[in-house]
Amino acid sequence: MAEEIALVTGASSGIGEALARRLARDGRNVALVARRADRLERLAAELRGAHKVEAHVIAADLVQPGATAALADEVERRGLVVDWLVNNAGFGTVGRFHELPIARELEEIALNVEALVELTGRFVPGMVSRKRGVVMNVSSVGGYLPSPYMATYTATKAFVLTFSEGIAAELADTGVHVLCVCPGITRTEFQETAHVDTRDIPSMAWQSADEVADEAVRAVGKGAVVVNGVLNRMMVNTLKFVPRSLVTRIAAGLIKPQEA
Amino acid sequence: MAQPVVVVTGASSGIGEALARRLARDRHQLVLVARRTERLEALAAELADRHAVTAHVIATDLLQPGAPTALAEEIERRDLQVDWLINNAGFGTAGRFDRMPVARELDEIRLNVKAPVELTGRILPGMVRRGRGVVMHIASVAGYGPTPYSSTYGATKAFLIAWSEAMVVELEGTGVNVVCVCPGFTRTEFQEKASIDASAVPSFAWQSAEMVADEAVRSSDRSGVVVNGVLNNVGAVLMRLAPRSMLARATASALRGKLG
Repeated sequence: MAEEIALVTGASSGIGEALARRLARDGRNVALVARRADRLERLAAELRGAHKVEAHVIAADLVQPGATAALADEVERRGLVVDWLVNNAGFGTVGRFHELPIARELEEIALNVEALVELTGRFVPGMVSRKRGVVMNVSSVGGYLPSPYMATYTATKAFVLTFSEGIAAELADTGVHVLCVCPGITRTEFQETAHVDTRDIPSMAWQSADEVADEAVRAVGKGAVVVNGVLNRMMVNTLKFVPRSLVTRIAAGLIKPQEA
Repeated sequence: MAQPVVVVTGASSGIGEALARRLARDRHQLVLVARRTERLEALAAELADRHAVTAHVIATDLLQPGAPTALAEEIERRDLQVDWLINNAGFGTAGRFDRMPVARELDEIRLNVKAPVELTGRILPGMVRRGRGVVMHIASVAGYGPTPYSSTYGATKAFLIAWSEAMVVELEGTGVNVVCVCPGFTRTEFQEKASIDASAVPSFAWQSAEMVADEAVRSSDRSGVVVNGVLNNVGAVLMRLAPRSMLARATASALRGKLG
């Protein structure tokens, strides 16, 4: 019988790594995808030892044209069946859009949006024909909160949120669960990579990647979206009733580029 | 004074053509962009003749990698300083996501999202330097909610709305306005191309492309999101306030069978 796996993109750190650990703890075989093969190999060895699961490593840079299709082909070549697809890989840029290098903005869209849609398109038909499967798309509360200085990032997350909600409703009754995960501020390498100054964000608003991963896995099958943490849920529910121009101003006050 | 230069993508039909006509009437110089050269040439000749404006034609397929940058370079090569950039080109797919060819979904993202981001990235810095300009994106009321059976389309439009909302704040004080236009049902070739059966949409819900274009142009003196028509404004507010899971389920059950 073919080996069923949970495929996790961006598995070398942060929420992706936490999700891979959480799913391995549940006894699921995992396929770890990221650019950094050495980090993936270490994590894979650890998961095999700790949880007696298979852990596959596929190093790929999903920003590159054709890389996502090549990843899907490689999964098939290894005879793996994707039972859980965790689209977690993503990054954010911070700054005024017109001052940022456009090539990097386009890479952000390629990774956060295109790779996610392509992998979903490649693996969901199999899930539908097997009548089960999980697609977990990692968005952000930023999907609800368009943020100046992170305009492209929050727009990619609005895409992921809207797309996931749409296909979740389409696939209701197929046995395939789609869940969009919207973490708030999470302790990962993300802030460092994005050069974002988070000093004004109160400590009570932060969550660990493990908390986010645990909440996400437990939310599967219970609705199309999980917003992580009580505080973030309150914020998202309140934002609906606040004029959008005020919402973006609040966001601009919270998240500002380090140099601005 | 020289005629202000307006770049319109997707100018060969529908809302793009209506915007070109509307701005020609206001004595703007036009750069008409689309794939179909002969239609653009005919429109350019007509506008030049009727309104005594200069109308340039640049035929290009913005889906091709690098095409938006090549377009920006061609505009520069012709010594045109862009006063208005109208990102109107776009298309929609309709059907259950897992049954549609993923390549077409990716094309949709490339045209509706990546091309506007790339063109804006190339043209906006010059506007900011000159302290004036209008960047207009044509989104859709579909961007206000999950849109099952057009999940990718709605998500591309949610991207444009969120992106614009953030950029409105980023560009304050620069003299450049960002206007995101959200039409509802508009009589164009769109529905035909997306194979959408719109016969159930009541006639009072429809607008003409001319109405949409006129409202868009009249709204361009300040930054913000413009929803076309009273009915769509009511709809957009309701979509924002209604529970999104309810919206998704209602849309899905209305369309299931028709498109699935």
